[in-house]
Amino acid sequence: MEGEGRFDALPAIETERLTKHYGSVRALNDLSLEVRPGEIFGFLGPNGAGKSTTIRTLLGYLHATSGNARVLGMDVERENVEIRRRVGYLPGGISLYGSMSGEDALDYLADLQGQPAARRAELCDRLQLTAHDLRRRIRDYSRGMRQKLGVIQALQHDPELAILDEPTEGLDPLMQHAFYGILEDMKAAGRTIFFSSHVLPEVERVCDRVAIIRAGELMALQTVDDLLARRKRRITLRWRGAAPDLSSIPGLADLQLRGDRATATLAGEVGPFVRAIASPALEDLTIEPASLEEAFLEFYADGEGPAAGRPESGAGAAAEGPE
Amino acid sequence: MSTVLLLRIWRFAATRLLIVTLAALVWGWLLLFFYSQFSEAIRQLATESSIFKQFTNFGSGDLFTISGSITLGTQHPLLIALIAIFAVGGAALAIAGERQAGTLEVLLARPLPRRTYLLTQLLAILAMVALLVGALLAGMAIGAVTQGLTGQLELARFPLMWVNGVLLWGAFASVSLAISASFDRPGPAIGLSIAFLLLNYFLEILGSFWTDAKWTQEYSLFHHFQPSEILAGKADPLDFVLLVAVILIPLAYALWRFPRRDLAAPA
Repeated sequence: MEGEGRFDALPAIETERLTKHYGSVRALNDLSLEVRPGEIFGFLGPNGAGKSTTIRTLLGYLHATSGNARVLGMDVERENVEIRRRVGYLPGGISLYGSMSGEDALDYLADLQGQPAARRAELCDRLQLTAHDLRRRIRDYSRGMRQKLGVIQALQHDPELAILDEPTEGLDPLMQHAFYGILEDMKAAGRTIFFSSHVLPEVERVCDRVAIIRAGELMALQTVDDLLARRKRRITLRWRGAAPDLSSIPGLADLQLRGDRATATLAGEVGPFVRAIASPALEDLTIEPASLEEAFLEFYADGEGPAAGRPESGAGAAAEGPE
Repeated sequence: MSTVLLLRIWRFAATRLLIVTLAALVWGWLLLFFYSQFSEAIRQLATESSIFKQFTNFGSGDLFTISGSITLGTQHPLLIALIAIFAVGGAALAIAGERQAGTLEVLLARPLPRRTYLLTQLLAILAMVALLVGALLAGMAIGAVTQGLTGQLELARFPLMWVNGVLLWGAFASVSLAISASFDRPGPAIGLSIAFLLLNYFLEILGSFWTDAKWTQEYSLFHHFQPSEILAGKADPLDFVLLVAVILIPLAYALWRFPRRDLAAPA
């Protein structure tokens, strides 16, 4: 593998007001985002949010109604064959020829790719797909084995950019762990990974930045850390004697008092809150860690508009500067 | 054209193709065998029954001349069904079938232009058709030799007959492929392709049985495959031109349509 910094001149993926309509249905609406070279980028959203539409437009399966997109600096409409030469793609719920053996399928797809399967042996080893497994027909594979084969076919030619749709679907926890290791090594080698997922803990664990999409519109595009820092944490307090005055503490909301116990949510930094409640009467304090899941759910709370979670640059998230 | 894809399509069809090729070879031999053994008896039956005589004209052929027997044999439903497995079924599934199975998704993730995919599929099917028509004619040639009929048959005209046969089935393949390129599910693609084949067959057979409906044959692709005329040295170049046009027009449509289509995620 070649070293870091090889592709950092251009964004790995760049969309500008990308829009896709199916008749009156707006699958994507003015989506603008940028994926930087060498990052692991998570693309989140529930079913029907527009994740697959975005991916399929980037790879030339779908044609945008308006707007434009570039992958590795190339236009997705005019240069999609060259894009596919340099990208590895794992479709969601991948289907392969059941009558072929795993090895034949990988050979066939590598031949069509026109590049040597330089990483196949290593990937098979890490995902525990043995030579015996590869000789079996795909129709006899379990769902997890098919998914492993899907991951290998996408990455075996060591692509500059991997686009992975629900990559851990069907993998057991051990294999998910191995898969995260593969992603981290790719990132260390300067490769870019763009993946959609429903599994929020895995996104939180491996991604540098995430985009959250709802009804075809970008809700947020931030680093995972920034996203978590904005989220409310659940707080539980217990004290001796009279109840302390909690009403004036900034960021505290949803306060509920029950005897010597109070629960609330806290937005923003924890430090000022801890200083404000510091008292010998305080007997116990629990601050639950902010999770991406809560952050994600907040973006889907009723009444929240698309702009609510966007970075300061609004729709120009693509223009967000380096961290 | 993608050689990798081409070889894969052939390898995938190899067993079926081998079986059908052997069947076409045997069929070609049987045509000449039956002609040499039974044509006289059938001629006598025909003189005794006008209805039977009309039936011997099935598909513009007859059972009283060697070229008529060959025409009749090449338009027999059994042979048509055998060749249609590849020329119609294979072509109709080439895109719509792979779409529904989800395998097209993985193939088109490679640097394989959609037009290249389509042209490679057509080329693969044309090669299969060429093999099957070749096997049929080879069977006839063997039959002519083993039955001592070489004096009645101009074997030098077989290559032109082969070209005519390949163009006929190439036309059906091209239409089926264009239909396939327009659908996401194999059901409608297969249904329409078979309907087109049956319509052509019906028009040809109707005209051959019913004198007043003879004009319908002009609208059938089968009518432009003329073994009798070719063997008699009276091949009509317009038949060839028409079949080439029927290959090219749906192909041009498919080459225009397929790359412009949205390929949504398979259900």
